[in-house]
Amino acid sequence: MPTLNDIQRQISAVKKTRQITRAMNMVAASKLRGAQTRMEGFKPYAMKFREVLGNLASRIEPDIHPLLVKREEVSKIALLHFTSDRGLCGSFNSNLINKGKSFIKSMKNESKVTNLTIVGKKGNDYFKKRDYEITESHIQIYDQVDISFINQMTKGFIDRYLANEVDEVYMMYSSFINMGKQIPTLAKLVPVEPPKTKEDPSASGSAEYLYEPDPGDLLIELLPKHISVQILNAFLQNETSEHAARMASMDNASKNCNDLIDSLTLIFNKARQAAITADLMDIVGGAEALKKA
Amino acid sequence: MNEGKVIQVIGPVVDVEFPEGELPEILTALQLTNPTIDDTEDNLVVEVAQHLGDNVIRAISMDVTDGLVRGMPVKNTGKPIQMPVGDAGLGRVLNVVGKPVDGLGEVKADVYYPIHRDAPPFEDQDTSVSVLETGVKVIDLLVPFPRGGKMGMFGGAGVGKTVVMMEMIHNIAMQHGGISVFAGVGERTREGNDLYHEMKDSGVLEKAALIYGQMTEPPGARARVALSALTAAEYYRDEKGQDVLLFVDNIFRFTQAGAEVSALLGRIPSAVGYQPTLGTDLGALQERITSTKKGSITSVQCVYVPADDLTDPAPATTFAHLDGTVVLARTIAELGIYPAVDPLDSTSRILDPNVIGEEHYGVATQVQQILQKYKDLQDIIAILGMDELSDEDKLVVARARRIQRFLSQPFHVAETFTGTPGKYVTVQDTVKGFKEILEGKYDELPEAAFYMVGSISEAIEKAKEIASVNK
Repeated sequence: MPTLNDIQRQISAVKKTRQITRAMNMVAASKLRGAQTRMEGFKPYAMKFREVLGNLASRIEPDIHPLLVKREEVSKIALLHFTSDRGLCGSFNSNLINKGKSFIKSMKNESKVTNLTIVGKKGNDYFKKRDYEITESHIQIYDQVDISFINQMTKGFIDRYLANEVDEVYMMYSSFINMGKQIPTLAKLVPVEPPKTKEDPSASGSAEYLYEPDPGDLLIELLPKHISVQILNAFLQNETSEHAARMASMDNASKNCNDLIDSLTLIFNKARQAAITADLMDIVGGAEALKKA
Repeated sequence: MNEGKVIQVIGPVVDVEFPEGELPEILTALQLTNPTIDDTEDNLVVEVAQHLGDNVIRAISMDVTDGLVRGMPVKNTGKPIQMPVGDAGLGRVLNVVGKPVDGLGEVKADVYYPIHRDAPPFEDQDTSVSVLETGVKVIDLLVPFPRGGKMGMFGGAGVGKTVVMMEMIHNIAMQHGGISVFAGVGERTREGNDLYHEMKDSGVLEKAALIYGQMTEPPGARARVALSALTAAEYYRDEKGQDVLLFVDNIFRFTQAGAEVSALLGRIPSAVGYQPTLGTDLGALQERITSTKKGSITSVQCVYVPADDLTDPAPATTFAHLDGTVVLARTIAELGIYPAVDPLDSTSRILDPNVIGEEHYGVATQVQQILQKYKDLQDIIAILGMDELSDEDKLVVARARRIQRFLSQPFHVAETFTGTPGKYVTVQDTVKGFKEILEGKYDELPEAAFYMVGSISEAIEKAKEIASVNK
């Protein structure tokens, strides 16, 4: 049976943990606001971009640009894998990693080799320890991400693709559905599959636009940008998801702390009462025995 | 032989007045005839406990005192309670004063020993150590039993002390071939009856002596029956030079009865209401249970732990006398793991590389380390969840959980309750199994495969079974 002191020490330890998890919950909440604003600010632009690209693609032949051509023999794949730099965000990272792992495995079964480009320390730690092929890792970059960085990344992928180093490029990120739901999502970057426009003649989307320069040239110009927009979108979504996941898991942890403190307090009170009863019994017993003598 | 007369009876306490100068010594047995018990003469034995002055002694009764009246004659036998020892007691059930209670007629013994005897002297004590295999994985691995040593089975109410003890009797006594003595002290009469019939069925009864003073007996009987049983065991050790097994269930009842007697005698209680002579009482008994150069007594004792509190004076005092302690914990019984042995609290004196060998010792300490680590991580898991653990810690947890389950084992004596046939696992198999789990050989097998199996090959077998059911 633990002594009163032991239980008290354990209670105070759990209380300190609760303090930390609460603080982390609040930090995550405030960071989430910033990330969510950025993500939502970017969303209309990304949507419009898709729309325009879809519109353009629907009226040209797909073999106009190598980025649009599907290769018949696919043996090498690049995967841009997102994770977070920090832990304490529940199953956020393990969900992403598990999905990434099963993707790589399924590719392997089709005898396709996957090269990883990793964003985030957690993923790097995980994949580095095991036998995975890592092309490059970006650690602690969420704060420094801007469009020029993304463009560079895009260029890297396109160059590798054009040099036949890889035949397909995918990315794995956590898409933000709402505060309680973030889903690890796999998306194909290269070859570009243009978003399909809705086949609705009455809608304005399918209206005839005049393009200057002509649609073909414009498309060639827009394709790398399209990839960049998708990557940036993934960055923003992933960051928002991470903060949301951390907020939820820290909230959960604080609740668990409360439960633990409650049950420990109960044990403490019981032990305290037992000690008092034992002491009283000893005193009363002793006094009674002395009275008779 | 002088006579006195009863002058007062208070429950199990009888005051007797003797003629001037003929007072019996303390611990002397006196005989009375109590018509309430049966029609035979001298059927009630009382033992002198105190001299009150004015030629009056106070005695503790070994049976019911209802029906005694003042002025009844009391015979002084001049010696302590005499226990019939030797082969006449084998296959029989005796009570505290050596009377048969199995209804098979009188015990015709040639030799009688007094139940109060001195412990073997210092220079006669045996110092050699060797391991006694029990066939129970958790005990063989973490709490190896020394041959000729004393082991305690500690546990609160209903954690399975008696079941583990019965399994010990099944695995050791039934294979042992030597003499076993079982002392039933203040436990359920039904359990004593079960044991009698089980021994009879398996044919070891002829080599066993059962001495019972169960719950229904007055405190005097319960406070002495352990001594009576021990006396029977001592005869075989000292006279025949044999290796004797002594099982005591439950040594706490001995202490408890001592406390009752002490209160009846009007002594001032000590801590938590125990008798002030707790240490002396227990020491007088435990020091006699020892191995000498002539023969050995290997004893297994159950120790009830009041309110699961191991710091209670009774179990705490008992600890000091034992070579090893098997602690049965409620927290483990709650997980459904039987035997509910606490792998971190249980210890044995011979868990030592010089006795059990480097390999066994290494595996045992590693098992303890990994379980301790798991215990330390449990708070983190409770608060943050498994996902926050590092990969190394996740592996520790996974293996610790498998080890925890592999420490469970189906028992022969519990076969009717669990429906699983009991398993006897040799020490080599046990060490091999745990070693391979620690090495990570079975990280792929599901946890459930390790639950309630014997050796590691059965776990592999069970894993295949589970896999085929899931398909």
